[in-house]
Amino acid sequence: MTTPAGGLRRVGLVVGSGGLKCAAALGLLRVLRREGIPIDIAAGCSGGSIYASFAALDWDVDHAIEVNRRLWEKLFTRYSFKGVASAFFPRLLRFSESFGLIDDRVINASLSAAFGDSRIEDARIPLAIVATDLTSGEKVVLSSGRIADAVRASVAIPILLRPWSIAGRRLVDGGSSDPLPVDVAIKEGCEIILAMGFENPLIAGVSSVPQIVLQTSAITVNHLLKSTFAFYNIAHHAEVIPIMPSFGQHVSLRDTHLFPEIIAEGERAAERELPYLLRLLQSDRYTGVSGNPE
Amino acid sequence: MVVGCSAGSFYAAFLACGFGADEATRLTRTLWTREITSRRNLRSLLRALFPGVLGFSADFGLKDDRAVMGRIREAFGERTFAEMKIPLFLTATDFATGEQVVLTEGRLVDAIRASMAIPFIFRPWPVQGRMLVDGFLSDPLPVGVAVKEGAQVIIAMGFESPYQSTIRSPARFAFQLSSIMTNNLLRSSFAFHNLAHHGEVIPIIPEFSRRIRLFETESIPYVIEEGERAAERQMPYLRRLLADRAGAARELP
Repeated sequence: MTTPAGGLRRVGLVVGSGGLKCAAALGLLRVLRREGIPIDIAAGCSGGSIYASFAALDWDVDHAIEVNRRLWEKLFTRYSFKGVASAFFPRLLRFSESFGLIDDRVINASLSAAFGDSRIEDARIPLAIVATDLTSGEKVVLSSGRIADAVRASVAIPILLRPWSIAGRRLVDGGSSDPLPVDVAIKEGCEIILAMGFENPLIAGVSSVPQIVLQTSAITVNHLLKSTFAFYNIAHHAEVIPIMPSFGQHVSLRDTHLFPEIIAEGERAAERELPYLLRLLQSDRYTGVSGNPE
Repeated sequence: MVVGCSAGSFYAAFLACGFGADEATRLTRTLWTREITSRRNLRSLLRALFPGVLGFSADFGLKDDRAVMGRIREAFGERTFAEMKIPLFLTATDFATGEQVVLTEGRLVDAIRASMAIPFIFRPWPVQGRMLVDGFLSDPLPVGVAVKEGAQVIIAMGFESPYQSTIRSPARFAFQLSSIMTNNLLRSSFAFHNLAHHGEVIPIIPEFSRRIRLFETESIPYVIEEGERAAERQMPYLRRLLADRAGAARELP
Protein backbone atom coordinates (compact mmCIF):
# COMPACT_ATOMS: atom_id res chain seq x y z
CA MET A 1 0.00 0.00 0.00
CA THR A 2 1.68 3.15 -1.16
CA THR A 3 0.58 6.70 -1.73
CA PRO A 4 -1.12 6.86 -5.10
CA ALA A 5 0.44 8.88 -7.89
CA GLY A 6 -0.72 12.46 -8.21
CA GLY A 7 0.21 13.30 -4.64
CA LEU A 8 -3.18 12.42 -3.19
CA ARG A 9 -2.77 11.86 0.51
CA ARG A 10 -4.43 8.82 1.89
CA VAL A 11 -4.12 8.17 5.58
CA GLY A 12 -3.84 10.95 8.14
CA LEU A 13 -3.14 10.44 11.82
CA VAL A 14 -4.46 13.04 14.26
CA VAL A 15 -3.66 12.80 17.97
CA GLY A 16 -5.67 15.15 20.17
CA SER A 17 -5.00 16.74 23.54
CA GLY A 18 -5.19 14.51 26.60
CA GLY A 19 -2.03 14.84 28.70
CA LEU A 20 -0.40 11.57 29.62
CA LYS A 21 -3.23 9.57 28.00
CA CYS A 22 -1.96 10.65 24.57
CA ALA A 23 0.70 7.93 24.94
CA ALA A 24 -2.10 5.58 23.83
CA ALA A 25 -1.09 6.74 20.33
CA LEU A 26 2.01 4.54 20.73
CA GLY A 27 -0.34 1.52 20.89
CA LEU A 28 -2.11 2.75 17.75
CA LEU A 29 1.27 3.19 15.99
CA ARG A 30 2.23 -0.33 16.95
CA VAL A 31 -0.94 -1.73 15.34
CA LEU A 32 -0.43 0.34 12.17
CA ARG A 33 3.18 -0.84 11.83
CA ARG A 34 2.19 -4.45 12.39
CA GLU A 35 -0.49 -4.22 9.70
CA GLY A 36 1.84 -2.39 7.32
CA ILE A 37 -0.45 0.64 7.08
CA PRO A 38 1.61 3.75 6.26
CA ILE A 39 0.68 7.23 7.41
CA ASP A 40 0.86 10.10 4.93
CA ILE A 41 0.52 12.97 7.37
CA ALA A 42 0.57 13.34 11.16
CA ALA A 43 -1.05 16.13 13.15
CA GLY A 44 -1.05 16.61 16.89
CA CYS A 45 -2.38 18.91 19.54
CA SER A 46 -1.10 19.40 23.09
CA GLY A 47 0.17 16.08 24.52
CA GLY A 48 -0.80 14.51 21.20
CA SER A 49 1.83 16.59 19.41
CA ILE A 50 4.56 14.47 21.05
CA TYR A 51 3.17 11.29 19.48
CA ALA A 52 2.35 12.88 16.12
CA SER A 53 6.03 13.89 16.05
CA PHE A 54 7.18 10.34 16.86
CA ALA A 55 4.99 9.08 14.01
CA ALA A 56 6.27 11.74 11.60
CA LEU A 57 9.90 11.01 12.45
CA ASP A 58 9.04 7.41 11.62
CA TRP A 59 10.73 6.09 14.73
CA ASP A 60 10.64 2.46 15.70
CA VAL A 61 7.80 2.05 18.26
CA ASP A 62 10.03 0.52 20.93
CA HIS A 63 12.47 3.39 20.56
CA ALA A 64 9.58 5.89 20.83
CA ILE A 65 8.35 4.15 24.00
CA GLU A 66 11.79 4.52 25.56
CA VAL A 67 12.12 8.21 24.56
CA ASN A 68 8.61 8.78 25.90
CA ARG A 69 9.47 7.25 29.27
CA ARG A 70 12.50 9.52 29.69
CA LEU A 71 10.61 12.54 28.38
CA TRP A 72 7.96 12.49 31.11
CA GLU A 73 10.26 11.96 34.07
CA LYS A 74 9.84 14.66 36.75
CA LEU A 75 8.13 17.03 34.32
CA PHE A 76 5.64 18.58 36.70
CA THR A 77 7.44 18.38 40.00
CA ARG A 78 8.97 21.82 40.55
CA TYR A 79 6.96 24.98 41.01
CA SER A 80 8.17 28.27 39.65
CA PHE A 81 8.65 30.50 42.69
CA LYS A 82 8.25 33.62 40.58
CA GLY A 83 5.09 32.29 38.93
CA VAL A 84 3.40 31.35 42.19
CA ALA A 85 4.41 34.59 43.91
CA SER A 86 3.23 36.78 41.01
CA ALA A 87 -0.25 35.26 41.30
CA PHE A 88 -0.44 36.50 44.88
CA PHE A 89 1.17 39.88 44.35
CA PRO A 90 0.36 40.73 40.72
CA ARG A 91 1.26 44.43 40.96
CA LEU A 92 4.42 44.09 42.96
CA LEU A 93 5.85 41.22 40.93
CA ARG A 94 4.51 42.38 37.57
CA PHE A 95 2.10 39.64 36.66
CA SER A 96 2.21 39.20 32.90
CA GLU A 97 1.03 37.09 29.98
CA SER A 98 3.99 34.75 30.49
CA PHE A 99 2.51 33.40 33.71
CA GLY A 100 2.96 29.75 34.70
CA LEU A 101 2.99 27.94 38.05
CA ILE A 102 5.45 25.22 37.07
CA ASP A 103 9.18 25.68 36.63
CA ASP A 104 9.44 24.86 32.92
CA ARG A 105 13.20 24.32 32.72
CA VAL A 106 12.77 20.56 33.17
CA ILE A 107 10.25 20.21 30.35
CA ASN A 108 12.27 22.45 28.01
CA ALA A 109 15.38 20.34 28.59
CA SER A 110 13.43 17.07 28.24
CA LEU A 111 11.89 18.12 24.92
CA SER A 112 15.31 19.17 23.59
CA ALA A 113 16.74 15.82 24.71
CA ALA A 114 13.91 13.92 23.00
CA PHE A 115 13.77 15.79 19.70
CA GLY A 116 17.17 17.49 19.51
CA ASP A 117 17.19 20.02 16.69
CA SER A 118 14.90 18.00 14.43
CA ARG A 119 12.71 20.29 12.39
CA ILE A 120 9.09 19.83 11.39
CA GLU A 121 9.86 20.38 7.71
CA ASP A 122 12.56 17.71 7.78
CA ALA A 123 10.36 14.96 9.28
CA ARG A 124 9.98 11.94 7.04
CA ILE A 125 6.19 12.27 7.08
CA PRO A 126 4.55 15.72 6.84
CA LEU A 127 3.85 16.96 10.37
CA ALA A 128 1.61 19.70 11.73
CA ILE A 129 1.38 20.81 15.35
CA VAL A 130 -1.50 22.87 16.71
CA ALA A 131 -1.29 25.59 19.34
CA THR A 132 -3.44 28.58 20.35
CA ASP A 133 -2.52 32.26 20.10
CA LEU A 134 -3.04 33.67 23.61
CA THR A 135 -3.67 37.19 22.29
CA SER A 136 -6.13 36.50 19.47
CA GLY A 137 -7.54 33.15 20.65
CA GLU A 138 -6.94 31.71 17.17
CA LYS A 139 -5.76 28.25 16.36
CA VAL A 140 -2.20 28.27 15.01
CA VAL A 141 -0.95 25.38 12.84
CA LEU A 142 2.84 25.05 13.08
CA SER A 143 4.32 23.41 9.99
CA SER A 144 7.95 24.45 10.23
CA GLY A 145 10.61 25.10 12.86
CA ARG A 146 12.10 23.03 15.67
CA ILE A 147 9.83 20.19 16.78
CA ALA A 148 10.87 20.76 20.40
CA ASP A 149 9.64 24.38 20.20
CA ALA A 150 6.37 23.50 18.49
CA VAL A 151 5.61 20.74 21.00
CA ARG A 152 6.48 23.06 23.90
CA ALA A 153 3.99 25.65 22.57
CA SER A 154 1.32 23.02 21.94
CA VAL A 155 1.57 21.56 25.48
CA ALA A 156 1.65 24.93 27.27
CA ILE A 157 -1.26 24.04 29.59
CA PRO A 158 -2.52 27.44 30.71
CA ILE A 159 -1.81 28.38 34.32
CA LEU A 160 0.62 25.43 34.76
CA LEU A 161 3.15 26.16 32.01
CA ARG A 162 4.04 29.60 30.75
CA PRO A 163 3.19 30.35 27.12
CA TRP A 164 5.86 29.80 24.47
CA SER A 165 6.67 32.41 21.84
CA ILE A 166 7.19 31.43 18.21
CA ALA A 167 7.63 34.01 15.46
CA GLY A 168 6.47 36.78 17.76
CA ARG A 169 3.23 35.07 18.77
CA ARG A 170 2.62 34.04 22.35
CA LEU A 171 1.29 30.49 22.11
CA VAL A 172 -0.53 28.23 24.56
CA ASP A 173 -2.05 24.75 24.56
CA GLY A 174 -3.78 23.83 21.31
CA GLY A 175 -6.59 22.25 23.35
CA SER A 176 -8.05 25.72 23.99
CA SER A 177 -8.86 26.22 20.30
CA ASP A 178 -9.13 22.75 18.74
CA PRO A 179 -8.51 19.68 20.95
CA LEU A 180 -8.64 17.23 18.02
CA PRO A 181 -7.53 19.10 14.87
CA VAL A 182 -8.98 16.78 12.25
CA ASP A 183 -9.23 19.69 9.81
CA VAL A 184 -5.45 19.81 9.37
CA ALA A 185 -5.61 16.34 7.80
CA ILE A 186 -8.72 17.29 5.79
CA LYS A 187 -6.94 20.33 4.32
CA GLU A 188 -3.99 18.14 3.38
CA GLY A 189 -6.33 15.99 1.32
CA CYS A 190 -6.45 12.83 3.44
CA GLU A 191 -9.13 10.37 2.44
CA ILE A 192 -8.94 8.35 5.63
CA ILE A 193 -8.30 10.09 8.92
CA LEU A 194 -7.51 8.22 12.11
CA ALA A 195 -8.49 10.57 14.92
CA MET A 196 -7.42 9.64 18.41
CA GLY A 197 -9.07 11.92 20.95
CA PHE A 198 -9.56 12.11 24.69
CA GLU A 199 -12.25 13.70 26.81
CA ASN A 200 -11.20 15.49 29.94
CA PRO A 201 -12.30 13.67 33.09
CA LEU A 202 -14.78 15.55 35.26
CA ILE A 203 -14.42 15.72 39.01
CA ALA A 204 -17.32 14.17 40.93
CA GLY A 205 -17.10 16.31 44.06
CA VAL A 206 -15.41 19.64 43.36
CA SER A 207 -13.78 20.78 46.59
CA SER A 208 -11.38 23.67 45.92
CA VAL A 209 -10.95 26.75 43.75
CA PRO A 210 -8.36 25.10 41.47
CA GLN A 211 -10.80 22.21 40.96
CA ILE A 212 -13.51 24.67 39.91
CA VAL A 213 -11.03 26.09 37.37
CA LEU A 214 -10.25 22.58 36.09
CA GLN A 215 -13.89 21.51 35.97
CA THR A 216 -14.99 24.67 34.16
CA SER A 217 -12.33 24.37 31.48
CA ALA A 218 -12.79 20.58 31.17
CA ILE A 219 -16.52 21.06 30.49
CA THR A 220 -15.92 23.66 27.77
CA VAL A 221 -13.02 21.80 26.14
CA ASN A 222 -15.07 18.56 26.05
CA HIS A 223 -17.89 20.39 24.29
CA LEU A 224 -15.34 22.00 21.96
CA LEU A 225 -13.96 18.54 21.18
CA LYS A 226 -17.42 17.16 20.39
CA SER A 227 -18.60 20.10 18.32
CA THR A 228 -15.41 20.42 16.23
CA PHE A 229 -15.38 16.67 15.68
CA ALA A 230 -19.06 16.65 14.69
CA PHE A 231 -18.41 19.52 12.29
CA TYR A 232 -15.32 17.99 10.65
CA ASN A 233 -17.07 14.67 10.41
CA ILE A 234 -19.96 16.03 8.36
CA ALA A 235 -17.82 18.52 6.46
CA HIS A 236 -15.34 15.88 5.30
CA HIS A 237 -16.28 13.84 2.27
CA ALA A 238 -14.11 10.88 3.13
CA GLU A 239 -13.74 8.83 6.29
CA VAL A 240 -12.92 10.03 9.78
CA ILE A 241 -12.40 7.09 12.11
CA PRO A 242 -12.54 8.09 15.77
CA ILE A 243 -10.28 6.06 18.02
CA MET A 244 -11.22 6.82 21.61
CA PRO A 245 -9.35 4.81 24.24
CA SER A 246 -11.16 4.54 27.55
CA PHE A 247 -9.34 4.25 30.81
CA GLY A 248 -10.92 2.73 33.85
CA GLN A 249 -9.27 5.29 36.07
CA HIS A 250 -8.28 8.93 36.30
CA VAL A 251 -4.88 9.53 34.70
CA SER A 252 -3.02 12.59 36.02
CA LEU A 253 0.09 14.23 34.58
CA ARG A 254 2.24 12.46 37.16
CA ASP A 255 0.94 8.91 36.58
CA THR A 256 3.91 7.89 34.44
CA HIS A 257 3.83 4.39 35.96
CA LEU A 258 0.62 3.82 33.96
CA PHE A 259 2.34 4.08 30.56
CA PRO A 260 2.30 0.32 29.80
CA GLU A 261 -1.43 0.15 30.53
CA ILE A 262 -2.14 3.34 28.53
CA ILE A 263 -0.23 2.05 25.51
CA ALA A 264 -2.00 -1.32 25.76
CA GLU A 265 -5.38 0.44 25.80
CA GLY A 266 -4.36 2.46 22.73
CA GLU A 267 -3.58 -0.82 21.02
CA ARG A 268 -6.97 -2.28 21.97
CA ALA A 269 -8.81 0.85 20.80
CA ALA A 270 -6.95 0.68 17.47
CA GLU A 271 -7.74 -3.01 17.07
CA ARG A 272 -11.46 -2.31 17.53
CA GLU A 273 -11.38 -0.05 14.45
CA LEU A 274 -8.94 -2.16 12.47
CA PRO A 275 -11.41 -4.37 10.55
CA TYR A 276 -13.22 -1.27 9.27
CA LEU A 277 -9.94 0.46 8.39
CA LEU A 278 -8.69 -2.57 6.49
CA ARG A 279 -11.97 -2.84 4.61
CA LEU A 280 -11.69 0.81 3.59
CA LEU A 281 -8.11 0.42 2.48
CA GLN A 282 -9.00 -2.61 0.39
CA SER A 283 -12.12 -1.15 -1.18
CA ASP A 284 -11.95 0.13 -4.76
CA ARG A 285 -12.28 3.71 -3.68
CA TYR A 286 -8.86 3.68 -2.08
CA THR A 287 -6.81 1.44 -4.33
CA GLY A 288 -5.28 4.52 -5.87
CA VAL A 289 -6.02 3.69 -9.50
CA SER A 290 -6.31 7.37 -10.25
CA GLY A 291 -6.92 8.39 -13.84
CA ASN A 292 -9.26 5.45 -14.18
CA PRO A 293 -12.72 6.70 -13.17
CA GLU A 294 -15.90 4.67 -13.64
CA MET B 1 -40.19 29.39 19.95
CA VAL B 2 -37.50 31.27 21.82
CA VAL B 3 -34.21 29.86 23.13
CA GLY B 4 -31.89 31.64 25.53
CA CYS B 5 -28.52 31.06 27.16
CA SER B 6 -26.74 32.90 29.97
CA ALA B 7 -27.65 36.61 29.94
CA GLY B 8 -29.44 35.89 26.66
CA SER B 9 -32.03 33.96 28.67
CA PHE B 10 -33.18 37.28 30.16
CA TYR B 11 -34.11 38.54 26.69
CA ALA B 12 -35.48 35.23 25.47
CA ALA B 13 -37.78 35.30 28.50
CA PHE B 14 -38.90 38.90 27.78
CA LEU B 15 -39.92 37.79 24.29
CA ALA B 16 -41.68 34.66 25.50
CA CYS B 17 -43.61 36.64 28.14
CA GLY B 18 -44.86 38.92 25.38
CA PHE B 19 -43.22 42.10 26.74
CA GLY B 20 -42.93 44.91 24.20
CA ALA B 21 -39.52 46.28 23.22
CA ASP B 22 -40.12 49.47 25.22
CA GLU B 23 -41.06 47.59 28.37
CA ALA B 24 -38.07 45.26 27.98
CA THR B 25 -35.76 48.24 27.47
CA ARG B 26 -37.09 49.92 30.61
CA LEU B 27 -36.63 46.74 32.64
CA THR B 28 -33.08 46.29 31.34
CA ARG B 29 -32.12 49.81 32.37
CA THR B 30 -33.53 49.47 35.85
CA LEU B 31 -32.44 45.90 36.56
CA TRP B 32 -29.10 45.46 34.81
CA THR B 33 -27.07 47.64 37.10
CA ARG B 34 -23.80 47.46 38.93
CA GLU B 35 -25.48 46.78 42.30
CA ILE B 36 -25.99 43.20 41.14
CA THR B 37 -22.34 42.42 41.78
CA SER B 38 -21.48 45.12 44.28
CA ARG B 39 -21.65 42.89 47.34
CA ARG B 40 -19.09 40.21 47.91
CA ASN B 41 -19.98 36.85 49.30
CA LEU B 42 -17.75 36.94 52.36
CA ARG B 43 -18.43 33.36 53.39
CA SER B 44 -17.41 32.04 49.98
CA LEU B 45 -14.24 34.15 50.00
CA LEU B 46 -13.23 32.81 53.40
CA ARG B 47 -14.00 29.28 52.35
CA ALA B 48 -11.75 29.64 49.32
CA LEU B 49 -8.92 30.86 51.55
CA PHE B 50 -9.41 28.30 54.32
CA PRO B 51 -11.00 25.27 52.66
CA GLY B 52 -9.78 22.90 55.38
CA VAL B 53 -11.34 24.83 58.27
CA LEU B 54 -14.60 26.05 56.78
CA GLY B 55 -15.34 23.23 54.38
CA PHE B 56 -15.17 24.09 50.70
CA SER B 57 -17.90 23.03 48.32
CA ALA B 58 -18.77 23.47 44.68
CA ASP B 59 -21.39 25.91 45.93
CA PHE B 60 -18.91 28.72 45.41
CA GLY B 61 -19.35 32.27 44.15
CA LEU B 62 -17.40 35.44 44.86
CA LYS B 63 -20.45 37.67 44.73
CA ASP B 64 -23.44 37.80 47.00
CA ASP B 65 -26.17 36.50 44.70
CA ARG B 66 -29.19 37.82 46.57
CA ALA B 67 -29.20 41.02 44.51
CA VAL B 68 -29.19 39.25 41.16
CA MET B 69 -31.98 36.90 42.26
CA GLY B 70 -33.96 39.92 43.48
CA ARG B 71 -33.61 41.62 40.11
CA ILE B 72 -34.69 38.59 38.13
CA ARG B 73 -37.71 38.21 40.41
CA GLU B 74 -38.57 41.91 39.92
CA ALA B 75 -38.76 41.29 36.18
CA PHE B 76 -40.51 37.94 36.06
CA GLY B 77 -42.19 37.46 39.45
CA GLU B 78 -43.53 33.94 39.90
CA ARG B 79 -44.15 33.34 36.20
CA THR B 80 -43.64 29.77 35.00
CA PHE B 81 -42.70 28.29 31.63
CA ALA B 82 -46.26 26.99 31.26
CA GLU B 83 -47.60 30.57 31.18
CA MET B 84 -45.40 31.72 28.30
CA LYS B 85 -47.09 33.09 25.17
CA ILE B 86 -44.33 31.57 23.04
CA PRO B 87 -42.66 28.25 24.00
CA LEU B 88 -39.45 29.08 25.89
CA PHE B 89 -36.27 27.01 26.27
CA LEU B 90 -33.42 28.15 28.50
CA THR B 91 -30.07 26.40 28.65
CA ALA B 92 -27.67 25.82 31.53
CA THR B 93 -24.81 23.40 32.19
CA ASP B 94 -24.76 20.54 34.69
CA PHE B 95 -21.61 21.22 36.72
CA ALA B 96 -21.14 17.55 37.67
CA THR B 97 -21.55 15.94 34.24
CA GLY B 98 -20.79 18.91 31.97
CA GLU B 99 -23.94 18.26 29.95
CA GLN B 100 -26.10 20.93 28.46
CA VAL B 101 -29.43 21.10 30.30
CA VAL B 102 -32.51 22.53 28.57
CA LEU B 103 -34.95 23.99 31.07
CA THR B 104 -38.59 23.97 30.01
CA GLU B 105 -40.62 23.92 33.19
CA GLY B 106 -40.92 25.46 36.60
CA ARG B 107 -40.30 29.07 37.61
CA LEU B 108 -38.53 31.39 35.17
CA VAL B 109 -36.48 32.93 37.98
CA ASP B 110 -34.81 29.61 38.79
CA ALA B 111 -34.07 28.83 35.16
CA ILE B 112 -32.68 32.29 34.39
CA ARG B 113 -30.60 32.32 37.57
CA ALA B 114 -29.14 28.90 36.65
CA SER B 115 -28.54 29.90 33.03
CA MET B 116 -26.47 32.92 34.09
CA ALA B 117 -24.54 31.35 36.97
CA ILE B 118 -21.13 32.60 35.74
CA PRO B 119 -18.54 30.34 37.38
CA PHE B 120 -16.59 32.00 40.23
CA ILE B 121 -18.85 35.06 40.20
CA PHE B 122 -22.18 33.52 41.16
CA ARG B 123 -22.66 30.22 42.90
CA PRO B 124 -24.30 27.38 40.94
CA TRP B 125 -28.07 27.10 41.18
CA PRO B 126 -29.81 23.82 42.02
CA VAL B 127 -32.73 22.83 39.79
CA GLN B 128 -34.39 19.44 40.23
CA GLY B 129 -31.45 18.09 42.17
CA ARG B 130 -28.81 19.16 39.65
CA MET B 131 -26.20 21.83 40.33
CA LEU B 132 -26.43 24.10 37.30
CA VAL B 133 -23.98 26.69 36.04
CA ASP B 134 -23.92 29.10 33.13
CA GLY B 135 -25.16 27.70 29.81
CA PHE B 136 -22.24 29.22 27.90
CA LEU B 137 -19.87 26.53 29.23
CA SER B 138 -21.62 23.87 27.15
CA ASP B 139 -22.85 25.98 24.20
CA PRO B 140 -22.72 29.79 24.11
CA LEU B 141 -25.26 29.96 21.24
CA PRO B 142 -27.61 26.96 21.57
CA VAL B 143 -28.90 26.84 17.98
CA GLY B 144 -29.10 23.05 18.44
CA VAL B 145 -32.09 23.42 20.77
CA ALA B 146 -34.10 25.24 18.10
CA VAL B 147 -33.03 22.64 15.51
CA LYS B 148 -34.22 19.78 17.73
CA GLU B 149 -37.51 21.54 18.45
CA GLY B 150 -38.18 21.68 14.74
CA ALA B 151 -37.60 25.34 13.92
CA GLN B 152 -37.10 25.88 10.19
CA VAL B 153 -35.89 29.45 10.19
CA ILE B 154 -33.60 30.19 13.13
CA ILE B 155 -32.53 33.72 13.96
CA ALA B 156 -29.38 33.37 16.05
CA MET B 157 -27.93 36.34 17.90
CA GLY B 158 -24.52 35.56 19.34
CA PHE B 159 -21.62 37.40 20.91
CA GLU B 160 -17.94 36.69 21.11
CA SER B 161 -16.14 37.52 24.34
CA PRO B 162 -13.59 40.30 23.95
CA TYR B 163 -9.88 39.61 24.22
CA GLN B 164 -7.41 41.72 26.11
CA SER B 165 -4.09 42.78 24.68
CA THR B 166 -2.29 42.92 28.03
CA ILE B 167 -2.88 40.66 31.01
CA ARG B 168 -1.79 41.99 34.38
CA SER B 169 -3.63 39.82 36.91
CA PRO B 170 -4.54 36.16 37.45
CA ALA B 171 -8.25 37.02 37.10
CA ARG B 172 -7.64 38.61 33.69
CA PHE B 173 -5.58 35.60 32.69
CA ALA B 174 -8.43 33.27 33.60
CA PHE B 175 -10.87 35.54 31.79
CA GLN B 176 -8.74 35.48 28.63
CA LEU B 177 -8.55 31.66 28.70
CA SER B 178 -12.27 31.34 29.19
CA SER B 179 -12.90 33.76 26.30
CA ILE B 180 -10.60 31.77 24.01
CA MET B 181 -12.31 28.47 24.80
CA THR B 182 -15.88 29.74 24.63
CA ASN B 183 -15.31 31.78 21.44
CA ASN B 184 -13.87 28.72 19.73
CA LEU B 185 -16.79 26.65 21.06
CA LEU B 186 -19.26 29.26 19.79
CA ARG B 187 -17.78 29.12 16.30
CA SER B 188 -17.47 25.37 16.03
CA SER B 189 -20.91 24.65 17.43
CA PHE B 190 -22.44 27.29 15.15
CA ALA B 191 -20.56 25.86 12.14
CA PHE B 192 -21.85 22.39 12.97
CA HIS B 193 -25.48 23.36 13.48
CA ASN B 194 -25.43 25.54 10.41
CA LEU B 195 -24.22 22.63 8.32
CA ALA B 196 -26.37 19.96 9.98
CA HIS B 197 -29.63 21.94 9.95
CA HIS B 198 -31.87 21.45 6.96
CA GLY B 199 -33.49 24.84 7.34
CA GLU B 200 -32.11 28.34 7.59
CA VAL B 201 -29.89 29.72 10.31
CA ILE B 202 -29.54 33.47 10.10
CA PRO B 203 -26.71 34.75 12.26
CA ILE B 204 -27.14 38.21 13.73
CA ILE B 205 -23.85 39.26 15.23
CA PRO B 206 -23.84 42.84 16.50
CA GLU B 207 -20.51 44.61 16.19
CA PHE B 208 -19.49 46.84 19.02
CA SER B 209 -16.80 49.37 18.27
CA ARG B 210 -15.68 49.36 21.89
CA ARG B 211 -15.61 46.98 24.79
CA ILE B 212 -18.86 46.61 26.72
CA ARG B 213 -18.30 45.64 30.33
CA LEU B 214 -20.64 43.34 32.21
CA PHE B 215 -22.70 45.99 33.96
CA GLU B 216 -22.11 49.05 31.82
CA THR B 217 -25.69 50.26 32.12
CA GLU B 218 -24.94 53.63 30.51
CA SER B 219 -24.11 51.84 27.25
CA ILE B 220 -27.45 50.04 26.99
CA PRO B 221 -28.94 52.47 24.42
CA TYR B 222 -25.85 52.01 22.23
CA VAL B 223 -25.98 48.20 22.63
CA ILE B 224 -29.66 48.16 21.60
CA GLU B 225 -28.88 50.38 18.59
CA GLU B 226 -26.15 48.02 17.40
CA GLY B 227 -28.56 45.10 17.80
CA GLU B 228 -31.09 46.94 15.67
CA ARG B 229 -28.48 47.67 12.99
CA ALA B 230 -27.31 44.04 12.94
CA ALA B 231 -30.93 42.87 12.58
CA GLU B 232 -31.65 45.40 9.79
CA ARG B 233 -28.76 43.97 7.77
CA GLN B 234 -30.44 40.56 7.70
CA MET B 235 -34.03 41.77 7.26
CA PRO B 236 -34.19 41.67 3.44
CA TYR B 237 -33.10 38.03 3.46
CA LEU B 238 -35.43 37.12 6.31
CA ARG B 239 -38.40 38.81 4.58
CA ARG B 240 -37.69 36.94 1.36
CA LEU B 241 -37.48 33.63 3.23
CA LEU B 242 -40.75 34.21 5.05
CA ALA B 243 -42.47 35.30 1.81
CA ASP B 244 -41.26 32.12 0.07
CA ARG B 245 -42.55 30.02 2.92
CA ALA B 246 -45.91 31.81 2.98
CA GLY B 247 -46.15 31.25 -0.78
CA ALA B 248 -45.32 27.59 -0.40
CA ALA B 249 -47.89 27.23 2.39
CA ARG B 250 -50.63 28.74 0.21
CA GLU B 251 -49.95 26.26 -2.54
CA LEU B 252 -50.68 23.38 -0.19
CA PRO B 253 -54.25 22.03 -0.46
